[in-house]
Amino acid sequence: MQEAKKLCSLIGRNTKTYFKDKFLFFTSMLTPLILLILFFTFLRNIYIDSFTAAFPEGFSVDSKIINGMAGAWILSSVLSVSSVTVAFCANMVMVDDKIHSSINDFKVAPVKSTTISISYLISNIFVVTLVIISVLVLGCIYLAAVGWYISVSDFFMILLGCLCNILFGSLLATIVLSFVSTQGMQSAVASLITALYGFISGAYMPISSFSKGLANFLGLLPGTYGTSLLRNHCMNGYLNELANVGLPSEAIKGIRDGFDANIYFFDNSVPLPVMYGIIVGTCAALLIIYILIVILKNKNISFKFLDKIKDKFSKKSICEKD
Amino acid sequence: MIVKIENLHKSFKDVKAVDGISFCVKEGELFAFLGVNGAGKSTTINIISGILQKDGGKALICGEDLDKNIDKIKSNIGIVFQNSVLDKKLSGYDNLKYRAALYGIFGADFKAKLKEMTELLDLKDILKRPINKLSGGQKRRLDIARALIHNPKLLILDEPTTGLDPKTRITVWSVIDKLRSEQGLTVFLTTHYMEEASDSDYVVILDSGKIATEGTPHELKNKYANDYIKFYNKKDEAEEFFVGLGKHIRKERDFILVKLDSTNEVPKYIAQKPEIFDDFEVLKGNMDDVFLNVTGKYLKEV
Ligand SMILES: Nc1ncnc2c1ncn2[C@@H]1O[C@H](COP(=O)(O)OP(=O)(O)OP(=O)(O)O)[C@@H](O)[C@H]1O
Ligand SMILES: [Mg+2]
Repeated sequence: MQEAKKLCSLIGRNTKTYFKDKFLFFTSMLTPLILLILFFTFLRNIYIDSFTAAFPEGFSVDSKIINGMAGAWILSSVLSVSSVTVAFCANMVMVDDKIHSSINDFKVAPVKSTTISISYLISNIFVVTLVIISVLVLGCIYLAAVGWYISVSDFFMILLGCLCNILFGSLLATIVLSFVSTQGMQSAVASLITALYGFISGAYMPISSFSKGLANFLGLLPGTYGTSLLRNHCMNGYLNELANVGLPSEAIKGIRDGFDANIYFFDNSVPLPVMYGIIVGTCAALLIIYILIVILKNKNISFKFLDKIKDKFSKKSICEKD
Repeated sequence: MIVKIENLHKSFKDVKAVDGISFCVKEGELFAFLGVNGAGKSTTINIISGILQKDGGKALICGEDLDKNIDKIKSNIGIVFQNSVLDKKLSGYDNLKYRAALYGIFGADFKAKLKEMTELLDLKDILKRPINKLSGGQKRRLDIARALIHNPKLLILDEPTTGLDPKTRITVWSVIDKLRSEQGLTVFLTTHYMEEASDSDYVVILDSGKIATEGTPHELKNKYANDYIKFYNKKDEAEEFFVGLGKHIRKERDFILVKLDSTNEVPKYIAQKPEIFDDFEVLKGNMDDVFLNVTGKYLKEV
């Protein structure tokens, strides 16, 4: 009971530390912001052009459907990318604690080290959820303005998809960053994730527009399926509406393929339940890895091989300085 | 006996940071740990407070074995780290609130404790401001408040006054003195300031992870410190006279320093050679001297 109260207090502290750190907050909003700016400057028109390119000659629809669908697609991008990038940035609180030895101030207190570790994961999930909810609310307002065709059931599926992505992002970030304890590694990881993740998750341009080899490689990453299931739920209402107004199913399949609602793993189409299976399974695996890490750390069994890698790293950087 | 350390060992790779030290701290005592940079002071403190694992040895703190009952020990010690570890972006209030919670102090208990600390350390104007907007002395006061928030029996201070202006140093010390006299708090201190060491009850001097010597400041001064006469005028005559007597002398730009066995010799020399005693000073050996003689190192880089 006492330990639970201590846990809550630590979660509060981690969360507050993150939101009070303006720079950290801004950094974690960078990827979604860039995505939105690109969308409103030119990506929107590119998407709309490629939707209409799939239409048969002479076919025309209410522009609300098309505009809404472009918005829904970018919304799914922002949601899935933010789940990961915000998770990584928000968990920099944990890395900062190690770099500035703040963690020592918790270690001298009568609180279990497991409690400290868990507090970082939970506060991370909490922060990412807050950000995702804000993005979702803003996105819905935008879609309501340009054209809303999302059914209630699809909306709940979007929420479920977000939950999967949040858990995936937070667990991944917490595990990776639990091995990061220097400023150099911290900025390397942060810039790598913010620069690269939007691209490899197909947030800017759909994976289907990448080369075959790259697309196949990205099919190996579980995050791809987390993104794709959000795309499915976000676009579903719009595609149904297009079918209702008489767009042939071939054209609809073309749009689904082109915009990653259908994902092909080495030419095999991956059905929606399998996507859920992959992302949930990955989360479960990550959770087990995380628990193992926490237990091992608590028992003070050090990761010898990682220490060796760190040694090499630091020796290298010392040599470079000389 | 509030702290009893036996044969403590700790190495980082090939650096023997703490190399088999043993010492005791008595209840209510002001205990000073001296040593140059890298002597192993912080490492010892980190082991006592449960941050680092020791490689070997035994430690009994507040009657509990470090290997068995670490949580009990943790609630009995308060620690002020060498570098402040409070959350820079959070206010002093938030920092104290979140830290207190880790000791199971919530709600009304916390409010009461906070009020006590605010009065003791004069925190009223600084509690609401973020830590990174505070001066060094204000931060130190909050560090001490954080260390005392759970009524520890033993207060560990790792260089609490390094980098503080003389006025703030006096404030910090008046708080520590007050706590010692009113609550009988035991204080374990590492410092680079010899005045602070001279005021303590017991001193341990650490050199490269080993204890070089220990004792009360008085004992140490008697054993290791020399007394001197300093001549500002008539330097050449004084030099000739004392070299003739077989004394060690040190020449500086403005004065020469003659090493004595004891200040008792001075009247004898004045009687023998009154003309050289024109502008002079008799110096009693201090802890700086002790430190230099024990370790062969100056504690403060001048
Ligand atoms: N985490 C660490 N990893 C490797 N070596 C360390 C570590 N911590 C301390 N050391 C080494 O152990 C030795 C003792 O360090 P320690 O910090 O205990 O010294 P100190 O007496 O507190 O010095 P200072 O007056 O500078 O605070 C030093 O040689 C230091 O380089
Ligand atoms: Mg130190």
